[in-house]
Amino acid sequence: MKAKAKVTDGVSARRLGFGFWLAAGWVLFITLAALLAPLLPLTDPTDVGVGGPRLSPSGDWLFGTDALGRDVFSRTIHGARVSLAVGGFAIGFGMIFGGGLGMLAGFFRGRVDHVIGFAFFVLLSFPALVLAILITATLERSLLVVSFTLGILAIAPVGRLARAATLVYAEREFVAAARVLGARSGRIMVRELLPNVAIPMGALTLLGMAVTVVAEGALAFLGLSVAGDEAISWGKMIVDGSGVRDLQQSPHVAMFPIATMFSTVLALNFVGDRIREYFDVRELAF
Amino acid sequence: MVRFIAKRIALLMLVVAAVTFLAFAALNILGDPLTNVVGPLAEIDCDAVEAGSAEDRSTTLNNSKGDCEIVAEARATYHLDQPLGVRYFLWLADLARGDFGTSFQNDQPVSEVIREKLPESLMLLMMAQVVALGIAIPWGVASAYRANRPFDRASTIGSFGLLSVPNFALGVVLLYLLALRWQVFPSTFEDGNAWQRFTSLVLPAFTLGLPLAAGYQRLLRTDLITTLQEDYVHMARAKGMTPGRIMFRHALRPSLFSVVTVFGVHTGTLIGGSLVVERIFGIPGIGSEIVTAVVRDDFPVVLGMVVVIAVGFVFVNFLVDLVYSWLDPRVRAA
Repeated sequence: MKAKAKVTDGVSARRLGFGFWLAAGWVLFITLAALLAPLLPLTDPTDVGVGGPRLSPSGDWLFGTDALGRDVFSRTIHGARVSLAVGGFAIGFGMIFGGGLGMLAGFFRGRVDHVIGFAFFVLLSFPALVLAILITATLERSLLVVSFTLGILAIAPVGRLARAATLVYAEREFVAAARVLGARSGRIMVRELLPNVAIPMGALTLLGMAVTVVAEGALAFLGLSVAGDEAISWGKMIVDGSGVRDLQQSPHVAMFPIATMFSTVLALNFVGDRIREYFDVRELAF
Repeated sequence: MVRFIAKRIALLMLVVAAVTFLAFAALNILGDPLTNVVGPLAEIDCDAVEAGSAEDRSTTLNNSKGDCEIVAEARATYHLDQPLGVRYFLWLADLARGDFGTSFQNDQPVSEVIREKLPESLMLLMMAQVVALGIAIPWGVASAYRANRPFDRASTIGSFGLLSVPNFALGVVLLYLLALRWQVFPSTFEDGNAWQRFTSLVLPAFTLGLPLAAGYQRLLRTDLITTLQEDYVHMARAKGMTPGRIMFRHALRPSLFSVVTVFGVHTGTLIGGSLVVERIFGIPGIGSEIVTAVVRDDFPVVLGMVVVIAVGFVFVNFLVDLVYSWLDPRVRAA
């Protein structure tokens, strides 16, 4: 076996660095804003005509107003609620099912591994959005259905990672020791393997969340995100503001949610990536 | 090699069968095909009508056919009276004969819809890959050539940022800047001569290709840095070969493995992205069509499109496997 030189990006993996804290701070800030949105002194995001239509950003209207005269700043803050909720629920769902299946495959191997592996392969053979379209188009598009759909997309990538991590740890002495002591498979998986597999998985949660936040936006573009005017999301705001006329007359309506979404996705990716490096997680399935 | 290909083809068939069945089942279980064919008539309780306890609406409207006759006819034509598994096989048998069914909306054969919409989408995908590789290869070479120097540092940050840009956001920004503000490219698809069609696809191709380029660049950079530390590269350098010749004649080709490997996976990402990008730029391709069909509950069209996309995607990955095993014989043994 030939020695592989270690390739670094010139940053020490053992220090998180200023950029990490800046990004983590932004993620925290957005999350808090989303949680506290109803309590903050903001105009009603669905209220039509609180200002004139298509007002440019100013002291009164920080992000301006949209074509219907709604406050873009208030809508951006409220939009974080659906975007982050969908992202969080979806990746949580993917972690539970994908992680569970992946651990089963990695632990029992043999036939179980073959069946689950094939299922993952089939899931990955659907270009992701097509599967999401099939489900969201036929069901009522509530927050849960949309999250659940995007969660299905996360199952296979998460599952493959969980399987790989389980394969490694299942060979270790402490697992053999537990078995010698008479522990049953279920107990070994929960008490011995899960805590070890959880570390690389946790690092991927943030990266996965970045993916699902974007996926929600893509669904919004196809008109298939969470239904109803009450459910504001960044994706839906970008769609509303990106008609040719909207872009010509009031580009800020689309650009502010775009900037917010981009910085959030960037921050999630950055934080996730740094944590992954910090814990030295190798396989990146996303 | 023959055994390898045979095994791959068997797997390919199995995956296509599973994917189409999933799509078929999803549409049939989650949706309601009968309603889509006959509309509100699907709600009618035919037993009650026969017993005379419920009113037959179409006969009262002087229609020659009764409600229940229409429903029964639709059931028979679309095999809705059969169980799901049987219906799937009937559909599959039609498919094998090249019959994708007909649209519920306008009775246009689905194969015709596909033939109409596919060229634009394929063109877009190819242009996006050309853009991505065309940018990624020089970029990756440039940053690996002087690794960890200022240019490389800057491009690591740049590619990370580019990877975090959602496709649709990039599309909207490009549309705003290059099509509306500076009017370099058309803002919607111009279905004129070949040149107009090409220029209409440039912005969408960059929208899809730029983030992809960043992905390829990262892989290529990492692989190149590793390759440049191999003994044979030191040997070439010791012989006095110029850095450019070493880079392009000796180091680049063996460093392309990772890029080739993810080419297939990224094709899937591209297909997903193209659904959205086609919407933004108004391109009449598979993506726009599938969304319209989904909204109208046009089952046969949706299924046909899903089959085309899934088979195409699986096939690309099959080709990638072949290319890969040809590049690196060790893969065949595995």
